[in-house]
Amino acid sequence: MAAAPSHPTRCTIVPPYLLMRLAELDDPRFAAASDAARHSLQRDSPIRDLRNAVPSAQPRRRVGALPGDTAEPGSPDRSIADAGGLENLPGRIVRTEGQPPASDVAVNEAYDGLGETYRLYWSRFGRDSMDDAGMPLDATVHYGRNYDNAFWDGQRMVFGDGDGEVFNRFTVSLSVIGHELTHGFTQFTANLAYEGQSGALNESISDIFGSLVEQHAAGQDTAVASWLIGAGLFTDQVEGAALRSIKDPGTAYDDDVLGKDPQPGHMSGYVETTDDSGGVHVNSGIPNRAFYLVADALGGNAWGAPGQIWYDTLTRGGLSTAVDFAGFAEATAASAVERYGHGSPEASAVRAAWSAVGVGVGVGVAVGDPKAPSGSTKGSAIPRSSPAQDQPE
Amino acid sequence: MKVVVSRSGGITGMRTTWEVQVDDQPDAPRWAELLKELPWDQVEHRAPQPDRYVYRIRCELHDVILGEPELKGMWRELVDRVRAVNERH
Repeated sequence: MAAAPSHPTRCTIVPPYLLMRLAELDDPRFAAASDAARHSLQRDSPIRDLRNAVPSAQPRRRVGALPGDTAEPGSPDRSIADAGGLENLPGRIVRTEGQPPASDVAVNEAYDGLGETYRLYWSRFGRDSMDDAGMPLDATVHYGRNYDNAFWDGQRMVFGDGDGEVFNRFTVSLSVIGHELTHGFTQFTANLAYEGQSGALNESISDIFGSLVEQHAAGQDTAVASWLIGAGLFTDQVEGAALRSIKDPGTAYDDDVLGKDPQPGHMSGYVETTDDSGGVHVNSGIPNRAFYLVADALGGNAWGAPGQIWYDTLTRGGLSTAVDFAGFAEATAASAVERYGHGSPEASAVRAAWSAVGVGVGVGVAVGDPKAPSGSTKGSAIPRSSPAQDQPE
Repeated sequence: MKVVVSRSGGITGMRTTWEVQVDDQPDAPRWAELLKELPWDQVEHRAPQPDRYVYRIRCELHDVILGEPELKGMWRELVDRVRAVNERH
């Protein structure tokens, strides 16, 4: 079983979202809790940063997310807003929880995708929304004009409509919706810094759980699943199946205009670049491939043991926000041992997978100990730089 | 004088680059004024946010990186101008 999270400086037992809500309470019944929450926020810089990143508007709160509320967890609280082609958030709310489908397909795709994402986290990991405290799931569609992107702004998901030439609307892909919400999950757990290797891990976790949302919704096991991120996003004019392939990094597209999918699936292809916050969407191919290899070795549903090991790694505490690939690999190995035991097929599969992508898991580290050092480079291959990536086109 | 705007990041992780020869533009004085007024030396590094675009803007000796949330005011005007010139061609 996963140990309770423990870390000397980050409080991961009480989710940051709940801490913030508690800290802002002005109710004598909760004075002690409120003081404690404020104290935690003051000494916890990652969470303070998170608080600063949250837009000034007060976030919605589902009934039941605070002590004394009575609503039961286990069902999402969704709202979808329409930005009407502007870049102002949140936009006009057009569908809320329980309302019938709208006439706008993007609204319904976002609503259903949020629901499927909630369902995976709740039914497989017992997690009540991204913060594990019933955080409402809010999204905005029709953001900007010809906007080729979707993102998580720290509080809500935002989808562009695409340009219609290269990209379709971004709600079309369930794995993209799962990807974005998983940035919320990461933010509320390990809070991995979005730069360099920890940023690539942040991206990889979003790809992996985004794909798991899609696999779970379709009832697909590892052998049947596409393992693609963003299938359906490209228009018919593009030679490509999707943005990325977790199974085979570097094979998702090969197009005259867009070029070839640049993702490596091994440390020998690690890309050093200043673009994209240090190539976070490129180098994520390496940990993506490692996860696939674990799933392939174990067979069955990837949201089972493989997903559980990665979930435990994010939630058990002790992971540095700036962890590198080698440190994360150690942490997954420790999580596998902790849940499935030394010498288990799961623990062996994790070690073999990281080794296969060129990230060695060192021997002698106290596996199973959440306080074991992470962030070391022990056992990792030396990244090979690709300076050409930094040249202007 | 050339301005180069390179946009990377976003969930797609793809890079797009646009450039403009300022002296060839019909409103070259306005370009020059804008480029002179921009606070090139006051750009601070902010922690990147998931799947937001990252803009790298270069002009002569200037070379700055701005996250999408920081692309406001004159920076936004510059990037919109550069893109507009490229889309006309």
